Amino acid sequence: MRWPSRGMIITASALAICFCALLIMMFDYHGAREEAGAAYIERGTIDTGAANLVAAIYLNYRLFDTLFEILVFSVAVLGVRFYLAQQRGSEKEIARIPESQVIRISADLLFPPILLLGIYLVLFGHLSPGGGFSGGTVAGTGLLLCAVALGADVVARRFHEAALERFEWGVLLAILLLALFPVVLRRLPLTDLLSPGRVGNMVSGGSILIYNVLIGVKVFIGTWVIIHYFVRHRGEI
Amino acid sequence: MEIINGVTIAIVLFGIGLLGLILRRDLVIKLLALGLVNGSTILCLVSLNARVDGVAPIVHSPASAPYVDPLPHALVLSAIVINFAILALALVFVMLLVERYHTTDSQRIEHEIEGERIP
Repeated sequence: MRWPSRGMIITASALAICFCALLIMMFDYHGAREEAGAAYIERGTIDTGAANLVAAIYLNYRLFDTLFEILVFSVAVLGVRFYLAQQRGSEKEIARIPESQVIRISADLLFPPILLLGIYLVLFGHLSPGGGFSGGTVAGTGLLLCAVALGADVVARRFHEAALERFEWGVLLAILLLALFPVVLRRLPLTDLLSPGRVGNMVSGGSILIYNVLIGVKVFIGTWVIIHYFVRHRGEI
Repeated sequence: MEIINGVTIAIVLFGIGLLGLILRRDLVIKLLALGLVNGSTILCLVSLNARVDGVAPIVHSPASAPYVDPLPHALVLSAIVINFAILALALVFVMLLVERYHTTDSQRIEHEIEGERIP
């Protein structure tokens, strides 16, 4: 390996030190940033009807960013599936983990509350901390617990794999169509057509609830697909 | 200003992660270091935004409590999801490399690839 020249090392370390100093000074200087955030805090709830201002930003003001975020997640799931499915030859029969009564019973006990927590996080994402991404991941992790307790092939047999994959892409299509739908009514795309509603109600926040449910389903399926393909490729958990 | 705050911890963690990414030869440890770098970035974004008396930006009543700026939190959400996507995909590539070359040592993999090219 060729060692970089002394000038390059000095330049790189000077850059790093300047960047660190900038960050530390930013930490001390609050004024300007508070003004920037004040607009969101002041208008966020009135504009969107969501009590959770973070959800109001990423599912209303900056929905465009979130669409690409979902796209990145979908591409990652597609990549995992594509590269691991190529290796058909190495696919082994999934080894049965020896039955463990402890894991089995704790999975039976824990799976319903975990699933319920995931659904709660998705449905109340516009009122309290949570949202589609975290709720979907929580529910997907519950499935991982089931896969550990029962064996991944047993859990996989419960799902119709091909239908699941089609459903996942259908959800992505639904999100994009929902974002594009205002064009039909001659409005700008990504406009929220539903009324904000009363802040704090379950049905409020305009389209944020719909987006949260769609993203939750998408992330739930995506998490399960990633887990399942990793398990299938490796042969065991 | 205290010396030990979120930003300085984030800078130290970033440095450790970067060094691990460059100096360690094991691919799985490289991925762990990448995860550390990602985590330190998130810590930096959140703590730049933190206030001593601030509360989470979730409106419960019209009374104006000093909410913290919600925008960096929305950015952090994107960072977490993309971090997850990158790590999952990178792990797949490491698995494929290990399957082919039977090692996680990046230099040995490089040597084997060079050996393949030169007949």
